[in-house]
Amino acid sequence: MSIELTHEPSVIAGKPSLKQIDASIIKPMNEVPNKKFFMAITLTLTMLSIGAVSLGMSFYRGLGLWGVNNPVGWGFAIINFVFWVGIGHAGTLISAILYLFRQKWRTGIARFAEGMTIFAVMTAGIFPLIHVGRPWLAGYLFPYPNQHSLWVNFTSPLLWDVFAVSTYFTVSFVFWYIGLVPDFATMRDRLSNSTAVDKIKKTIYSVLSLGWRFSNRHWSHYEMMYLVLAGFATPLVLSVHTIVSFDFAVSIMPGWHTTIFPPYFVAGAVFSGFAMVQNALIIIRKVFDLEYIITLDTLEKMNKIIIVTGLMVGYAYGMEFFIAWYSGHEVESFAFLNRAFGPYAWAYWIMVSCNVIAPQFFWFKKLRTNIPFMFVVAVLVNVGMWFERFVITVTSLSRDYLPSSWAYYTPTIYDFGILIGSFGWFFTLLLIFTRTMPVVSIAEVKAVVDGAQPSHHGIGHSTGEGH
Amino acid sequence: MSSAEVVLYEKKPLPAKLTLIGLALLAIGGALAGIGFTSDSVRASYNLIIVFMWLFSIGFGSLFLIALEHIVGADWSVPFRRITEILAGVVFIVPIVAIPLFINLDQVFVWINPQVLEADKYIKGKAPYLNQDFFVIRNAVIFGLMILFFILLSVRSFKQDVNKNPKASKTSAKLAAIFLPIFAISISVVAMDWLMSLEPKWFSTIFGVYYFAGSVLSTLSILTIIVILLVENGYLSKYINEDHYYNLGALMFAFTNFWAYIAFSQFLLIWYANIPDETLWYMDRSNGAWMIMSLGIIFVRFGIPYLALVTRPSKSNPFRLKIIATWVFLAHYYDLYWVIMPEYAKRNGVDGPVFGLTELSAPFIVVGAVIVVLALLSKGKNLMPVGDPKFKRSLEFHL
Repeated sequence: MSIELTHEPSVIAGKPSLKQIDASIIKPMNEVPNKKFFMAITLTLTMLSIGAVSLGMSFYRGLGLWGVNNPVGWGFAIINFVFWVGIGHAGTLISAILYLFRQKWRTGIARFAEGMTIFAVMTAGIFPLIHVGRPWLAGYLFPYPNQHSLWVNFTSPLLWDVFAVSTYFTVSFVFWYIGLVPDFATMRDRLSNSTAVDKIKKTIYSVLSLGWRFSNRHWSHYEMMYLVLAGFATPLVLSVHTIVSFDFAVSIMPGWHTTIFPPYFVAGAVFSGFAMVQNALIIIRKVFDLEYIITLDTLEKMNKIIIVTGLMVGYAYGMEFFIAWYSGHEVESFAFLNRAFGPYAWAYWIMVSCNVIAPQFFWFKKLRTNIPFMFVVAVLVNVGMWFERFVITVTSLSRDYLPSSWAYYTPTIYDFGILIGSFGWFFTLLLIFTRTMPVVSIAEVKAVVDGAQPSHHGIGHSTGEGH
Repeated sequence: MSSAEVVLYEKKPLPAKLTLIGLALLAIGGALAGIGFTSDSVRASYNLIIVFMWLFSIGFGSLFLIALEHIVGADWSVPFRRITEILAGVVFIVPIVAIPLFINLDQVFVWINPQVLEADKYIKGKAPYLNQDFFVIRNAVIFGLMILFFILLSVRSFKQDVNKNPKASKTSAKLAAIFLPIFAISISVVAMDWLMSLEPKWFSTIFGVYYFAGSVLSTLSILTIIVILLVENGYLSKYINEDHYYNLGALMFAFTNFWAYIAFSQFLLIWYANIPDETLWYMDRSNGAWMIMSLGIIFVRFGIPYLALVTRPSKSNPFRLKIIATWVFLAHYYDLYWVIMPEYAKRNGVDGPVFGLTELSAPFIVVGAVIVVLALLSKGKNLMPVGDPKFKRSLEFHL
């Protein structure tokens, strides 16, 4: 297959009719879920239950059940928090940044990726709450004038996290919802009032679609709003993970305090987020017969972003190592040598092999377009990125400035239980999402089908020359 | 299609006097630098680093923009690519500027001085990296790579005008993929060697990215100025429209924000941790009048270009864009001065920023060099990549 360079290639395979697009996207919402779906949701609910039990135990008996202790006071909770916030970043990058870059291939995957953002941030938000030990007091994280004259510590990046993550969640949610409005209207219009169930569904979709009538004026407001929200969401993507990186980097802990952390964390977040989106989409497109919308070409482009962000992360690893030596400070050099060759060397080398070596296979087109292969690499990238946060958090803390207090951090079964539970929570939400809302933006896909765009007729037609 | 009869681009050579103008500017700059060398050779050497780093920004930055276009498959920038390819010819000037610096390395880099090495164990510890031989070798390798990729990216594209081989575009995309990791490492090494090691005690992992952000801005701004001037005088296609300009402006806007993000991240983390070995760099830039310059960079490099570019008409109106691009181009000089000259001041007992005839030489040499490269390399060539299979489609670009 050769690439046609004189014309822009279509992002949607074939020439589906508008009706066909409606039907194939809405189909999963109109039929009773099959056995596979129930098996999947049983699995995720089981995982969720494991997490709920572990968490219940942690509250009942106290956080002493976790592996955190002196000197490693930040364990799985912060690792999971950073991991899940990172997963969310791909969604905003696809839906907002690629929208500003006018990348049409994003249309097939944007809605789903953004749904993942919302669920990932919801998952991430659990961890700081439970890590404070008494989540019912978390309301004090919000600064408000109170009779105790109690104020939060405005100089702490942990507080900035509260603002950054809540803003990010709000804007992402609004952006996602605005995009859904025309699709809710489509679903409303396709339902009849014949049965009681349909009636209830129609009422719900009518409320959600906010009286959308597909009028020209609605569309022009919608487009403007969408652009503005994309503009808002773009700096937020950077700011959220930048502030997450500040949690580490503003301290004077060796291995944490390094100036490349902000862009490095953002690149890492996009890297892991794309891998997670890739994993989920490979399954979704197959199960829901959406292969003509989420084409192999789209998956290949995502793999290219995975290799680019993977190289950025690799650059940061290398630069950190070099500057640790270059700085001439013993503690800095020690922190990095300890990572690579100390007691946590196994975690470090898992991180390097999964994050730096695994994506290198995507240099080859054959491997980049091989679906089982890319699935495996995406899983590895997720594993690697989880371990990256583990390496950063644990290695620096377990061997801090005072050798007499060094200790090896071992997570307990409750830590793992909560980690499993977080995956259960995330995938349960995702499964419910696929059954209740269109996972692909119906309106946007229709706009990128071949022939949907107004033609400028090209040079020679518009100017009247050459006729 | 009847479009074959439409003339997309008519070859029109640049005026011959352009070479003379460029050479005249170079001569003025060279004379100013020469006077500088006779009166205060140390100060002149520091200024030559500004020239060197500025030209390196443009040469290497142009190669980056070419590679970026190939690898992301952009349409809108194809009409400008030939100018970028010619601009990348600045890579031939960079080594010429580096030669006098290589000869006088000890004038600017204290880590060459054995007494300094003996007195400071931290600087001595860096000797395996910071030593004269390795410094010259690795920079020479980078110059070689620059010229190699000029041949691979630019010269191959010049040939495509004649052979019209569409496969050449695909090969370029592959070469661009190979180039980009090399570029990332090289530009970081150059930034650390020529800027960071001026204060050998100081270190910052983000510094390579900081210089990269500024480099892309300086390349984009000079490209914008050249393109608009050429279009206005009828040297490029009349089909270049305001949507093409819009993208140049938008990219400049994006990198202005990116620069601010990187600069702020570096500053905030160092300020917050307050470790003397890191804060010293900012302390040197907050003494007396330097503080005014340090505060000024927020506005010169970020505040003013941000406000000037944020509205849509400012990105698509060529007249306004031309003015903003000139500002952004000179802001790179401000930035380089702010990074380099405090080191001169500190080591030579100068209080605050200095600006005299020596400093004036840098913009003259850089602008003169760019004009000369443009005039000489464009001889006999099309000013647009007419052999690119995307050429017509790129001229039809609309937002």
